[in-house]
Amino acid sequence: MKELLTAKKLAVRTALALGILAGVMLVCSLIGTESVSLKAVFSTDTQKAVNPDYEIFVRVRLPRIVLAALVGAALASAGVVFQAILRNPLADPYILGISSGAGLGATIVVVSGLSWTLWGHSPIAVFAFVGALGTVLLVWFISRLTGKFHITGLLLAGVVVNAFFSSVIMFLTSVVKSQKVYATIFWLMGNMTEEGFLVLWLAAGCIVGGISALFYIGPQLNALSFTDDDARSMGVNPAKTRIIAFAAAAFITAIAVSLSGLIGFVGLVVPHSVRLIFGPDHRQSIPLSAIAGAIFLVIADTVARLIVAPAQLPVGVVTAIVGGPFFLILLVRCSKKVGWLK
Amino acid sequence: MNGIIEVENLRFGYLPHSEILKDISFKVKRGTFLAIAGPNGAGKTTLLNLLCGALVPQSGLIRIDSMPTESYGTEALAKKMAVVRQEFIPVFAFSVSETVLMARIPYYNSIGFEAEADKKIVSEALEATDTAQFAARTLANLSAGERQRVFIARALAQDTPILLLDEPTSFLDLKHQVGIYDLLKKMQQEYGKTIVAVTHDINLTIQYADEALLLGADSNYHIGKTNDVFSPQQIEKVFGVRTFTGKVGQENFFLPLGKFAKDNQIITRKPPSNQ
Amino acid sequence: MNKWSCLLLITLSWMGIGLAISGFRHKQKCDTTPLPRQVHRIVSMAPDLTEILFAIGLDEKIVGVTIDSDYPPPAVRKSKIGTFWQPNIEAIIAARPDLVITLGFDQQKDTAERLKRIGYNCLTIDVWKVSDLFEAIEKIGIATGRQQQATKLANDIRNNLDRLSNLVGTQNKIKVLWVVQREPLRIAGRDTFINELIELAGGENAIGPTLHKYPPIGAEQVIASDAEVIIEPAMGQQDIAMQQISAFNYWSRFKNLPAVINKKIFVIPGDTVSRLGPRIYQGTETIAKCLRPELFPN
Repeated sequence: MKELLTAKKLAVRTALALGILAGVMLVCSLIGTESVSLKAVFSTDTQKAVNPDYEIFVRVRLPRIVLAALVGAALASAGVVFQAILRNPLADPYILGISSGAGLGATIVVVSGLSWTLWGHSPIAVFAFVGALGTVLLVWFISRLTGKFHITGLLLAGVVVNAFFSSVIMFLTSVVKSQKVYATIFWLMGNMTEEGFLVLWLAAGCIVGGISALFYIGPQLNALSFTDDDARSMGVNPAKTRIIAFAAAAFITAIAVSLSGLIGFVGLVVPHSVRLIFGPDHRQSIPLSAIAGAIFLVIADTVARLIVAPAQLPVGVVTAIVGGPFFLILLVRCSKKVGWLK
Repeated sequence: MNGIIEVENLRFGYLPHSEILKDISFKVKRGTFLAIAGPNGAGKTTLLNLLCGALVPQSGLIRIDSMPTESYGTEALAKKMAVVRQEFIPVFAFSVSETVLMARIPYYNSIGFEAEADKKIVSEALEATDTAQFAARTLANLSAGERQRVFIARALAQDTPILLLDEPTSFLDLKHQVGIYDLLKKMQQEYGKTIVAVTHDINLTIQYADEALLLGADSNYHIGKTNDVFSPQQIEKVFGVRTFTGKVGQENFFLPLGKFAKDNQIITRKPPSNQ
Repeated sequence: MNKWSCLLLITLSWMGIGLAISGFRHKQKCDTTPLPRQVHRIVSMAPDLTEILFAIGLDEKIVGVTIDSDYPPPAVRKSKIGTFWQPNIEAIIAARPDLVITLGFDQQKDTAERLKRIGYNCLTIDVWKVSDLFEAIEKIGIATGRQQQATKLANDIRNNLDRLSNLVGTQNKIKVLWVVQREPLRIAGRDTFINELIELAGGENAIGPTLHKYPPIGAEQVIASDAEVIIEPAMGQQDIAMQQISAFNYWSRFKNLPAVINKKIFVIPGDTVSRLGPRIYQGTETIAKCLRPELFPN
């Protein structure tokens, strides 16, 4: 039985992937509009009161890159799991209303001009987080109205809620003063900013914890690819698995979205690509997608920072422009492995 | 004596006021091969789903190994019963060996991986169902019959004392039909497994099953030894077709003949023969 | 211990450690409060702020300006730290400023917050109206230790504007249509500083109160406005004469508008009227010349 996944194979692949991630993060943190060298960062030259290389490296670049890695990992692994629960390779983490819920939360903050700050942050992140999770709950409850769990009911509820909230966002954006429109649109397109140590640390804990929880239910997600009854006969409780998967995936997506706005494509393209190359076993695709998503978003953010410097493209633009063609190439190359193309 | 499966006064309907199964009771002794037969819509698949806990009865009790099905957790029940349903192509491209390995999920180690023993069981299951040659192929790349054998292999790999099968030979060619029945019989005789199979193939059933449960459309049922249950009168009454009955060796065989069948006269000329 | 409780334990410990470290660092920061310093390196994030800094004699101390800070001419030679809309935070840090001055626009305020979080000294000034300008000049003077020069600058501007006001008088306000964009047609509304300049120059906005500051308007409203003068600030560095010609062509379709009948359509240099800075007097004077050329014989 060759080609089968073993714990050892997975460990080796994960370790390699982490190594690549570390390398990419290091290289990207040395790239930017100002040239920064590692030597200068760590030099203890006290001639200048402040070491600008150190400041830029530690206070501007590293936080952004760490955030990009975390958000990329969260979105990609959530994407894998949503595709598994919904049995649909075209699902992404935003399909069930998280995007419009977070967007509405953020828009409400911007439009109402709330000016109180939470530890120096505007309340956008908090409202976006609440909006995201609240919308997921709403969609879940709406779909329960159709009785027993129906994937179609869930998807329809998501579509309806997305459409409604998006129109509310557009309405608010159109009646508000012009500068705030810019702020809202900018947030909606996804961007990375420098977060403080505590925020990054806590977000890392939540996201890595969430991804681990998803990894734990990898075997159950494999079984869930078949019918619910089949999964039950194999000893997997479909309802319980779904709740855990849903909760963890929605949670990490909500955190990602509240910190960085709506970044598309990562949750769709990365899971697909990993599945095309490594196969559909979720015990592997969840950790590998997380790392691949991190690498992808770090690179995308670096491109976003540089390509029209000193201006910055929203990261969401780069992920779409880069993600689309890249995925197309991968699809053409590996199409023989994809059953549904036959 | 207590059976490994006990059904008492089972009632079930999909809608509140319609009942498909009315007040059914029977016992299946350990190590028996029970066939469930009947016309379409009589509730055979429904009964199977009730037995494995996928459906909940409206009233009545089902006991597996002396404990009610409700008292079993999903994983515990999966260690008692394996179910083979209609073949299915999942959205994700799992290979045959990956699919059959999923049967060992209740036995995975703490980080969620299989041990060597699990892989050996899966190997044997693939060999037994003549699917080892496809081990690396994805399910979508197999014929329906080959896929069916894979699902049977998965149920075998679960290594449970009870096997429930829903029309396991519906897509198989003759060689593999016989092969599966031989395999099931071997599981029963050599490993003491209890087999419950829903089937449309009466003649093969008679040759292989020990007992039969004949479900009528109006929820009448007969259970007993296969040669007691399958008589020409019963078959005509339950299925609504007249059959030509013959004797093979120990057992009967039944050939259903309709109005335009070539040898139709043989039934119309003679009354049904009593053996 | 099963894997779930293990995971929960690790995650909670992680959060706890993070809070502990953060609490420790916060205490560290509080214990070492920095002494107030003299300001030697200033970064300006907007063209009008740059002009103010130069006007109160701080040209030596400016180490970074935005790309669009092009006045006075020496400003062009300063290091660039991004644009007015998109500041480049790395370039700002590389300039090692001890004071960063920004406007109150959302993006600028955002950048100021980010810099403050990193530990830089930022001054955010809201400059929406003409009165804000005087306050801004004073604030900058205080922050940079140049109160005297700042007050003088503010007074000079104020006196010039008052003199102009008196010259044009308060009677017979002339209706002005101020066009910021031709396609789609957008005008400056009454809630803008441009409107204040128009009024100081002896005019009034031809369009009534609007919801937005720079709303798009339709042809109907243009005709109903009965504008006597149309003013367009020039776009970019293009030839003003060319823009004047294309303006005449464009507005000729509104045959019954007094401004078109009397050929009072003016394209004026943009900088002095779109920046709320020290040259606001020159801008207002230009507007007054468009409205009442007879008062300005030369």
